[in-house]
Amino acid sequence: MRKVISTVFMYAVMAFVILISAFPILWVMMSSFKSNGEILTSALSLPSGFDFSVYISLFTDYSFPRYFLNSILVSSFATLFSLLVFAMSAYVIAKYRFPGRMLLFVLFTVTLLVPAHSRTQPIFSLVMNLGLYNRLSGVTLVYLSAGLAMSLFLLRAGFMSVPDSLSEAAEIEGAGFFRTFWSVNLPLVKSSLSTAGILMFLNNWNEFYFASLLTSSDSVRTLPIALSFFTSEFSYNYTYLFAALTVVILPGIVIYAFASDQVQASVAASGVKG
Amino acid sequence: MTRASLRTRKNYKWIYLFLLPTLIIFLLFYFVPIIQVFFTSFSSWDGFNSPSFNGVDNYMTLFSRSSFHLALRNLLIWSLIAATVHVGFGVIVAFIFYRQPAGWKLTRTLFMIPNVISAAAWAMIYRFIFNNQFGVLNQLIRTVNPDFSVNWFYSSPWAFIAVTLTWVFYAVIVALVVHGDLMNIPQEINEAAVIDGASPWQLISRIQLPLCRASIGTSIIISISSRITMYEQISLTTAGGPGDDTISLSMMLVSAVMDYRYGFANAIGVIMFTLGIIILLVVNRLLKMNESVY
Repeated sequence: MRKVISTVFMYAVMAFVILISAFPILWVMMSSFKSNGEILTSALSLPSGFDFSVYISLFTDYSFPRYFLNSILVSSFATLFSLLVFAMSAYVIAKYRFPGRMLLFVLFTVTLLVPAHSRTQPIFSLVMNLGLYNRLSGVTLVYLSAGLAMSLFLLRAGFMSVPDSLSEAAEIEGAGFFRTFWSVNLPLVKSSLSTAGILMFLNNWNEFYFASLLTSSDSVRTLPIALSFFTSEFSYNYTYLFAALTVVILPGIVIYAFASDQVQASVAASGVKG
Repeated sequence: MTRASLRTRKNYKWIYLFLLPTLIIFLLFYFVPIIQVFFTSFSSWDGFNSPSFNGVDNYMTLFSRSSFHLALRNLLIWSLIAATVHVGFGVIVAFIFYRQPAGWKLTRTLFMIPNVISAAAWAMIYRFIFNNQFGVLNQLIRTVNPDFSVNWFYSSPWAFIAVTLTWVFYAVIVALVVHGDLMNIPQEINEAAVIDGASPWQLISRIQLPLCRASIGTSIIISISSRITMYEQISLTTAGGPGDDTISLSMMLVSAVMDYRYGFANAIGVIMFTLGIIILLVVNRLLKMNESVY
């Protein structure tokens, strides 16, 4: 009897988890294929057909290609550049002994404890003073700094597991400092690089707070910002709103679908995201 | 990896060159901002003229504001809910995953989805779910009670409850972190407990739960920290309303920055930062107390 109760309880909890996680997304996607009238009268009914004209309209009549491109540009530039920069410092911290090594590592990683919101004004002013307000480069610059502690943790651990004998062999054969890093060590930490990269990319892709503070005009909006404006402008065209939501959330889900093990493992290990 | 294996060849030029970009990022986005936030929180500053020292005026103004009291009250209630219901639910899910019932991997994968999509989009989705007219929730309730009508995000006290519901059960991080810790418990310990006659419930409450206290502590810290910085779930749903029902420190900080009251904004920043550190120390302290018990 006890076993039956505990089994029922386990499956009830799991069903609840699936309901609250997957159902809202399915509901949004389903609703994007329904007419305004259908959405208003029967929220739970299935769409009568799959009409993609709303999606086509989003990408032809509205600036969604622009927002999409902005999101891709900002997220990928920031991710690639910060991966390189953080990999370089993680490498020397993991592999070399030099004055200030531990101090720098502690300083870099303790940044995790400082809530980004508390640094809002200085970052806002910095971007203003650099003349990068309302520019994609300003948003990119701020995103560069975002994954510092988390990437350094992941990448340092990766480099530490690469045997030193490989670097020594490379140096005996005449490889310089940069070559030893780039051609010998970097290829061997691919999994740490992709884990840190995926987490940073997702965070950048989803970021709303700084993007909303640092931009004002339509042409530099990323998808989450565009979505919030779209919601106020088209507050009575629900089909469009649901379709726009789908366009914004789908890429993250697709990336996750391809890398779900990595994302879960790294979250479990670092507990950083969220 | 031991220290002895670290290479000591004199490559200082290259070493510091490799550190330089990260150091610049650290200085520009962390070190200088933190110093600036701290010092200018004691000044009156509009961002155009230079800051003028005004002692603890910003803090006094802040402490006298009723919206600040409400923001702190909200943070306190949300933190308590985060530490109990949110973390508790995550721990239950972690223990279920540990038993590996059929479908647990799929459940784990799906549970992560709300976390990989934009918090802004998630807030919108909830705005629709809680919509009085076409929202799923009210339409469901109306199948039982046709006269039901509540504007969740716009009326008191529902707005506070609705904002809470946008995050309270999404405890996937807690579940993953605690599950990872559970998996690290050596199987011999579980077996020894069973041989000694521990019931399934005793195994959980006396052995497994105490052994996971580090990850549960981490989860509490992470989930309370996210309450301190919670922004999208409020700004895009209730915008702090109705009245100041769902106001938060982050909402107050943003509006101060937008009004060019930088000194005031930074005083709020200092308080957010300090609260985060206090939570960290308190939770750590509580865990250490546990350590001496076992």
